Amino acid sequence: MDAHRPMDEGKRRGIARGMTRRAVLRRVAAIGLAASAFAPLLAACRREEATPAPGGGTPQPATPAPGVETPTAAQTPAGATPTPTAERAVLNYGVGAADITTLDPHFAAATQDRNIVDMVFNALIRYKPGDSTQFEPDLAVEIPEPEETPEGKQVWIFTLRQGVMWHVGPQSEAYELTADDVVYSLQKSANKDRSAYAADYAGMTFEKVDTYTVKVTVERPLSPTLFLPKVANYNGGFIVSRRAVEAMGDEAIKTHPIGTGPFKFKSYASKDRVELEANNGYFRSAPKLAGVQVRFMSDATSRELALKSGEMDVVSGVSDSAWVQKINQEPKLQADVFGVGEVAFLNLNTAREPLNDIRVRQAILYAIDRDAHLAVFGGPPVAQNVFSVVPAAFMRGGLTEEEAQQNGVAYGRDLDRSRQLLAEAGLGGGFTLKMVTSEMDAYRKNYEVLQDELRQIGITVELDVVDHPTMHRLIREDVNPIVIYVAFRPNADVYLTQFFHSDSIVVTGPKPNTNFSHYDQIDDLIEQARVETDPKRQEELWKQANIKILQDAVGFPLHFINQVYGRSKAVDYGHELKASLALYPGFTEQTVVRK
Amino acid sequence: MVRYAVRRLLLAFPTLLAVLTIIFVIVRVAPGDPATAALGDYASEEAVRALRQRMGLDRPLWLQYLSFLTGLLRGDLGKSLITGQPVVDQIRHVLPYTVELTLAAIVIGLVIGIPLGIVTAIRRNTLVDYVGRVVSLAGLSVPAFYLGILLIYLFAVRLRLFPALGAAEFSRPGAHLHALVLPAVSLGLIEAAYVTRMARSVVLSVLHEDYVRTARAKGLPERIVLFGHALRSAMIPLVSLIGLFAISLIGGSVLTEEVFARPGLGKLMIGAMKQKDYTMLQSIMVVYAFIIVLINLVTDLLYGVVDPRVRYE
Repeated sequence: MDAHRPMDEGKRRGIARGMTRRAVLRRVAAIGLAASAFAPLLAACRREEATPAPGGGTPQPATPAPGVETPTAAQTPAGATPTPTAERAVLNYGVGAADITTLDPHFAAATQDRNIVDMVFNALIRYKPGDSTQFEPDLAVEIPEPEETPEGKQVWIFTLRQGVMWHVGPQSEAYELTADDVVYSLQKSANKDRSAYAADYAGMTFEKVDTYTVKVTVERPLSPTLFLPKVANYNGGFIVSRRAVEAMGDEAIKTHPIGTGPFKFKSYASKDRVELEANNGYFRSAPKLAGVQVRFMSDATSRELALKSGEMDVVSGVSDSAWVQKINQEPKLQADVFGVGEVAFLNLNTAREPLNDIRVRQAILYAIDRDAHLAVFGGPPVAQNVFSVVPAAFMRGGLTEEEAQQNGVAYGRDLDRSRQLLAEAGLGGGFTLKMVTSEMDAYRKNYEVLQDELRQIGITVELDVVDHPTMHRLIREDVNPIVIYVAFRPNADVYLTQFFHSDSIVVTGPKPNTNFSHYDQIDDLIEQARVETDPKRQEELWKQANIKILQDAVGFPLHFINQVYGRSKAVDYGHELKASLALYPGFTEQTVVRK
Repeated sequence: MVRYAVRRLLLAFPTLLAVLTIIFVIVRVAPGDPATAALGDYASEEAVRALRQRMGLDRPLWLQYLSFLTGLLRGDLGKSLITGQPVVDQIRHVLPYTVELTLAAIVIGLVIGIPLGIVTAIRRNTLVDYVGRVVSLAGLSVPAFYLGILLIYLFAVRLRLFPALGAAEFSRPGAHLHALVLPAVSLGLIEAAYVTRMARSVVLSVLHEDYVRTARAKGLPERIVLFGHALRSAMIPLVSLIGLFAISLIGGSVLTEEVFARPGLGKLMIGAMKQKDYTMLQSIMVVYAFIIVLINLVTDLLYGVVDPRVRYE
């Protein structure tokens, strides 16, 4: 080594410093080389296209439970010999969430839970993939017509498909779905201790007629619009396996769902991923995908980059038209914008001064600039205009722009009229309103636009920004004179009941829910519509309710916000995409990734 | 030394208990509750109430606290309020990912930072020093998650050399290391900036010590002065700094794991916060607190290794 080489004193004095520097640098270089020891090893590793789940996820049982029948080609629908799994691609899906909440379909509410449940389970009927405005048979062979009993009850008879097999579970075999499963499942949905949607099944009884026939009796007849969603692939309508749930218990199915759908559960790694694999015995046909890997990716930038790098095939996007434009500029990518859209709307508190004066409420509505609120999301296609709280674009009972105009409830910005109404109410000098808003963009930005709009007519809005759960708690404690709420509800009845029926008035109502406006003038319309079995008449009643809400200036729709996803153009969903109640594009047996 | 270590661990218990109590209270004082988070705003009050009851959240707070503590004493971290899975299984699954990320970042930080710190110290006020200081200042100013995004964009999206996300399983070491590179570098580079500045400062102060002047006066070559005398004593403060770095890296890994969608304690914690999963959150905090206590202990023990004057009394 240099340090041991003989060196005369003069030379030492002369070059010691320089030599030392070189030596130090050499050593630094040596350390640097050590640092890059990773490099050759890493460079040798070519990037993986799709990484399987790291160890530690819920293990797939190595062997089926005793008596398990693994689905065979004979169980595959006629003429649908599946492509070997190795030749099919796994779809990598990056979802904007930290984890699942529950995969028990009767509790699933979060977007990511709904997505997975949609792929694993079926229902008696289903919303057409990609189009939540149409029903088609699913486990039932057809959509029945209701019958009325002499006692005035309504009966729906469902005939089940034969040969539908349950996925193999850790403690259950792949047996055939029968009426026992359907009755058990619907009874579970109606049980408040075993379902979050029990209230939807009040007054309903479920009976097995024979192995493939189920009878549903409804105490007070319902129109198809209100009945069919209860037995469709949404909320409590999903059918769970009686044997699997009884064997595993309600707790275990939260992380290991057993269904009849095109994809079966494979593994779950908390806060990381859920893996689904193709159910080759699926009754429609074997899936064209080998499986779906759902990755939990809360960070929107990470999802976008993973989509661009090709590691993700589909990702949940950002609710902004600028993002849509940005993704569409990428040659290999496509942004999908589709319903269902969440409606952002104002609720004006009629129990609070000075908003108890209709002139003040109307003045506020005439100050609203719909375009300014649309701009919060970059305008269309992500955010679009809506003219009643019930969105006509997604369900019956909402008002179109023409209908709102014909009935004189379209409003539209008119500051002079606004100021005049305030002057008539004796508030020409203006006043102050204090409100809380969530930190979430959909809320905060809309409140900020409203603040600016009201400032122009002399109303000062003092905004207090709080976190999202706190806002939900506070508005339910009735702190806001004006509540901006962003929500989707499956039909007009739920929208109107939860937000405008007197039973639902916050704090003081008999069943406090989300009636922030303390409104009680359309109870009869809501109740009449609920029991109206003629769809046209029912729709008319809902429209009247919406018109009344706007005439009384208690609720005002700002816009609806669509679902936004990014995908590789190699992905073909296998259906057109208009609206999805499962809040994702929908991955079915027809979905394919052409890699 | 063993007695000292055991005593230190026993002394850590009051600290851990205080931390646990604070965590227990904080997660419950925070607004929102797991039942609402789980069911969404569509669910009725009745459904939310029923779920709260099933989760045991309707029990008095002191009872919840007591069962949390007794569970801990039995080594039971409880079950996730949301998924019902044992928390210990989930932590056991992700802990290796956080540990390896932290260790890799420490290695990168030290391998880059120490030489750079030494060079900038011995070439003080030269171009090398200025460049080194500017680079390390830049490193200090960039948050790890932002650097992570830049690295993903450059190396995963543009150059396609490394995966943008996650981690492969441990059974495939090649792919596993491959996936580790970007997260480790994004965390390690920032740590390197800290190490560089610390190392520079320590070496500069040591170089002004009397014994270094004496060594030079004896006519020893500069490299012997530096590596034989100066750096040995400079190692002592650096050891304690490494302990601090490890603690800060464990904290810093939270966002890095999130950006790289990588399993780990940090990602687990953020998820638990979003879901208001009290059991999971307080258990993760317990693990973090324990790790920090452990790192401090190891740091103290390492003092004895690098500094013979230290005695464990």
